[in-house]
This record gives sequence, C-alpha cells and structure tokens, in this order.
Amino acid sequence: MSDASSPWVQAAGSTPAGTASQPAAPGTPWSPDLSPSQPVYDGTLGELYAIYLRHLAMMLVTLGWSRFWGRTRIRRYVWNHLSVLGDRFEYRGRGRELLIGFLLALLVVAAWSGLMYLVWLYVFHEKPFATFGLFDLFSLSVVLIGFPLAYVGHYAGLRYKLSRTRWRGIRCGMAGSAWAYGATATFLQFANAMTGYLLTPVVSVNLARPRIVNTRVGTQGFTFAGRAGDIYGRYLGYYFLNIVAWIVAGIATFMAIGGTLQGLGVSSEDFLKLFAHPSLHTVVVLLLVAFAAYILFGLLILPLRCWWQAYLLRYLVTHSRADNVLFATAISTWQMWGFLVLNYLIVLLTLGLGWPWVMHRTMKLIAGQLWIYGAPQGSAIRQPADRGPGYGEGLLDMFDVSGV
Amino acid sequence: MAARYYDGVTADVQEVTLKVTSHELLINRSEDSGVVARWPVADLVVLGDSHHEAVPPLALRGSEARLVVEDPAWRAQLVSLVPALKPLALEPVKVPPRLGAYSLAIVALVGLFWSAVEYGTEYAVPLLPYTLQAKLGETVLDELLTDKETCQGRTGLAAINRLANDLAREAGYRHEVTVHIVEGGPVNAFTLPGSILVFYSDLIDQAKDSSQVAGVLAHEIGHVVHDHPIKGVVRAYGIDLLFKVLTGGYSDILSTFGTGGGALLAMRNGRAFEREADATGVRLLEQRGLRADGVSSFFEQLLEKEPSDAASAAGIWSSHPPTRERIEATKRPATGRPAFSPAEWQALRNVCK
Repeated sequence: MSDASSPWVQAAGSTPAGTASQPAAPGTPWSPDLSPSQPVYDGTLGELYAIYLRHLAMMLVTLGWSRFWGRTRIRRYVWNHLSVLGDRFEYRGRGRELLIGFLLALLVVAAWSGLMYLVWLYVFHEKPFATFGLFDLFSLSVVLIGFPLAYVGHYAGLRYKLSRTRWRGIRCGMAGSAWAYGATATFLQFANAMTGYLLTPVVSVNLARPRIVNTRVGTQGFTFAGRAGDIYGRYLGYYFLNIVAWIVAGIATFMAIGGTLQGLGVSSEDFLKLFAHPSLHTVVVLLLVAFAAYILFGLLILPLRCWWQAYLLRYLVTHSRADNVLFATAISTWQMWGFLVLNYLIVLLTLGLGWPWVMHRTMKLIAGQLWIYGAPQGSAIRQPADRGPGYGEGLLDMFDVSGV
Repeated sequence: MAARYYDGVTADVQEVTLKVTSHELLINRSEDSGVVARWPVADLVVLGDSHHEAVPPLALRGSEARLVVEDPAWRAQLVSLVPALKPLALEPVKVPPRLGAYSLAIVALVGLFWSAVEYGTEYAVPLLPYTLQAKLGETVLDELLTDKETCQGRTGLAAINRLANDLAREAGYRHEVTVHIVEGGPVNAFTLPGSILVFYSDLIDQAKDSSQVAGVLAHEIGHVVHDHPIKGVVRAYGIDLLFKVLTGGYSDILSTFGTGGGALLAMRNGRAFEREADATGVRLLEQRGLRADGVSSFFEQLLEKEPSDAASAAGIWSSHPPTRERIEATKRPATGRPAFSPAEWQALRNVCK
C-alpha cells in the first residue's frame, strides 16, 4: 500500500465533505484528532457458557423452536460487553422478530414448492420428461434459488442485526438493496468459479464495498477506498503457492498412507474389512489418522490461506473510514490461523459445545486487533428516522447456517 | 452518582450526576450542574438485565434517551432507592453451579429425547393418522414409478394381493395392503408407508418356486404390520433433530457429522427391522399352515450368486443383517400348503406379459 492511498494521508490532507472535525484556525495547519483507541470486550467465558447452556437445554425442550430467543440472549450479552470509545453497544432485537422472519421464509418456501408442483404437473409429469420426478425438480430448484438467496439472506440479516444495534443510544442500520447484493454476489461468485478463482480479489473487494459503504451508525455513513488492483499481486502469489502446496500435500499423504499400510502388511481387502467391522481400537486409530491428515493439511495448506486472508482483512479494514474516524488492524497470519483453523477445530472436537469459546475468542481478537484512530463528533451523528425491518433473518435461517 | 447520558437524538455523550427524589430522577451535567433532564420515576424502564447486559441502560418510557451507570455499586444504590429498577443490579450469576445444573439438565434431556426416539416411536407411530402415512407412501410411490413400467396382469396381481392381505389379517392388521409389481430389476422388494408393497418382476422370474415369493412377501408384510417404514422415517427425523438441536443448529460441519451418525443409526435400526420382519413373516406363514421355507431358500439362492455377501462385508454400514445369519434364523422344513395355487403362481409368473 503506497502512502498516497493511505486513509491517514487522505484524512490529514483534506477535509471530506460533511466532516465533523473542527476547522483549523486561519493560518495554522489543520490536523485532525487521530488519537488511537481500541474496542474493549469484557465478557467472561463462564457467563457466556451459562447463557449458552441454558439456550441448549431450552432447544432440547422445545425441539429447536427456542433458538430465536436463545440467539437474542447471546447477542445481548456479547454486544453489551463490547465497547468503543468507552460506550457499550446495545442489542435490542427480540426473539419473536426472528420467529416471524423464519415463518415468513417458510411461507416463501411453501409458495415455491407449490409453484414447482405446478411446473412438474404441467411440464415434467408427461413424457419425455417423466424421468424428472417432483423431488428432483424441487431439489434442483432449491439449490438454484438457495445459492443467491443465501447472499440475500446474509445482507438482509446484517441489516436486521444492525437495525437492532445501538451505540450511544443511536440506532445503526444498513442502506442498499439485499436483492441487488444477492445478484451481484451470485454473478461474481459464478464468474470466479468459471475462471479458476482468479477473480477472488475482485469478488472480495466488490462484495466488501456495499457492506461497508451502506453501514450506518445513525446518520453517519462509512467510506471504502479499496481497489482490487491493489491486492492482486499478493493474491497471485498465494494462488500459485497454494497449487504447489496441494501437490506436495497430496504426494506426502499418498506416500504416508501407502507406506504405512505396506509396512504393516495390510492388504486393501483387510483394510476394507477393518472399516466394515470397526472395533473401538479401529475407531480410535481412524480418528487419529484423520486428525493427522488434518494436521498435515493444516500445516501445509491452511497457513497459506491464512496469510492471504489476514492480508485481505488488513486491507479491507485500513481502507474503510467513517468520516474522520480511521480504522486499522495488524492481524497476523498466525492470529488468522487461530481464528479460522483453531476455532474450526474447537467446534469440531467439542461437537459444537465449544461455540461460546469460539465466540469469546473472536470478540477478544476483535478487541485486541482493531485500532480506531480519532473519534466522531457526536453532535453530528443523528438518530435515523428509519427503524429498520420489523422482522429478520428468515432467509438466513432457511438457506444458510446463521451463527450468532 | 455519576453516569453517561445519551439524549437519543444525537450521538453526543454527557457526563452527568444523578439525584433521586420521591418522584423524579434528576439528571444534571457534571461540569456545570445544569439540568439535563428530569425523568419521572414511574416512567423509568431498564433495558435488559444485569445477567445479560454488562450495564443495562436505563431509559424513559417512550423516549430514545439512555442513561448508563457503569459503577455496579451505584447501580445497586439506585435499585435500593427505586426497587422497580431491580434488573439493573440482579444477584450476580454463580457460574460454576449454574454450569453444572445446565450440563446435568442437558445430559438428562438428551437421554430422554433419545429414549423417546428409540422406544417412544414404538407406541407413538400407530397413533399417527393412517391417511397421512398413506399420502406419504403414495407420494414416494409416484416418485419411484415416474420412469418405470408397472406390470398389469390382473390375475397375477390379484393373487399376490390376496396372499398379502391374508397374511396381514393373520397378524391382526386392519388396513388394506396393496402390492405393485415393477417390471425389471433388481431382485428386490420393499415396503412404503400406507401398506404399499413394491415387488420387482426379476424377483418373481428368478424365484425357484412360489414359496420363495411367498416368503419374501411374508417378510414385507412383517414390515407392514410392525409399521417399520413410518417408524424408520420418524426415528431418522428424530435423530437428525437431536443432532441439530445439540449443536445449536449453528454448524454445517457438525451437521455433516450428525448426518453421518444419523445414517449409521438408521442402518442399525434397519437391521433390527429386518430381523423382526424375517421372524414375523415366517411365523405368519406357519400360522396359516403354509410352506415357510421360502425365505431361507431365497437367501441361500442369493448367497450362491454372491458368496461374498455384501451385507456381511458392509458390516455396520449395511441396512440388512448378514445373509448367513438370516438363513439360520429363518430355516424351516419344506412342509405345509403352497401359498399360491398352481393357477395363481402361473398368473404371477406372467404378470408382466
């Protein structure tokens, strides 16, 4: 990143339209307040677990229907234990709003099912399409609409969460169309897949931009000065190193498995028999082998991915600003590894019971790695007239795995 | 009493001091003691509670202004003056006992849920409206038959349906059983919810005699009278739900694990169902004085064709018990009346022609 494109330089060298900073006295060089601060997270793992386990128990009693209220309670805890510039966030969402969102999404799916039934009845029911059954048609159509709807759901879910978030009593929000975002995301991801993922920087920057520039804290918007061209060099390095790493990992795995089986004098038939009638010993050995393979994968492939992801996150954060407030992070490859890989392992090895731990680690990471330069002028940020959607996250619940 | 005041109109923060009178909360600026707001005590509300919020904001009913008292001692003092504000300073959560209690509750609930799925279906499934089961079975049948030809020989179909209903009645089953015959292979038969049986014509063509077809039919009737198809659906759904609920419904990784685990349990259920259907089928044939050696001889025939025994090789991944075990369990002498008359058997042989 050149100094000329640095948001710090932009902030110091010019006063953007609508800036809330105090104007400099005539004849003196203007210098904005860029005092650094960091968010603070003061939640404890024990308290978070107490809320989570209650949620889990209620989920068992209600067969999962309490999840809307459980999520809300967890968000209330996490949000209010995070503060920026000494002021805590507030989460004012309600479980019933999530329930309504889910029920509406159910209605959408029911209407879609009805439509697909009619299509099947009038188009596919008769030959020559008779081999295409109703379930096939429905499954295919859900895959087709589910992919773009997951993106729409992501955006709409973010809008809902922000509309229920307050800072200094001011509602946050999200402008822009979730459908437009869904269409853009679907097109970009499709184009990326078609070009062997060589468009990843374009996709990353163009999907981050609408989410950043449409975010609002009251009437205060954000700006994003990122360009895909800035990060292509690093991505291409990652891309080709990744191919090399996969080849090396593949050869190493092949040699390790083949060598081990041969060394033990195990034939492929014996191996299959072991798999079909596993003793406890076999299960333990298989788990250890799977874990070893994952470690190999984790050691060779994932650090590379984390190297790229950490770079991308640093780039996105440092190129975002809210008027005279700048953001920065120095998140390292190792910290990204902890975030992506270790958190994944925690969830996997604890069969899901490690979720609060992962959440706690993530909040600590945000608090430890995000730097905020400057402070907004509070009087310039006003309460928005828009109260946000009346319900939320139905599509996210239906078409995607929606975490807290 | 110091606090931070947000007016709800802008994001300005004011450091304030609070004073509680009998009917008002006076909010004054810290720096010059100027009055910021006067909130009637009766209209004060706490947003959240101190078990979830680190510092629950205090608000005036109907207003977007907020008051945040960071110091817990001052919050407690405020509660002592205005007891209605109790959620501001609840008794702190004793984390270890609470974690212990919830963990125990979760273990007990998982056990209860598991038992309900494993044993409860035995009692709950017969209570499910039969029309629903029949609808489900018909939908699946429609789907299965979309690209298949069914055999329409009326006499042959009448023969197999007659025996199916005789055997079902012998077991005290009160619904009508319908057998469909699909042209071609594999050499197989299966049961759908709603007393729907599907036979493949290859099974009839390759049977050495009518007792083998009768044996397989009796086995399928075993599934029908024990409600196995719908029990299988309910158990699979129940176990899937348990996995989803236990993982908080959050993780696709765990859902994958859950699906794998659920599939294994479904296979185990499947093996138990097959054993029960084998035993019931043979018993029903014997009760009606019919030849009951057909199932075991049919399995022997299968084993001759495929000595490696796929079910045995697949072990825990098989939905059926090992074939040798099934032969031993169903072996009976070749005594008793034939299940089909010679004319019926001939018609069944020609059902697809």
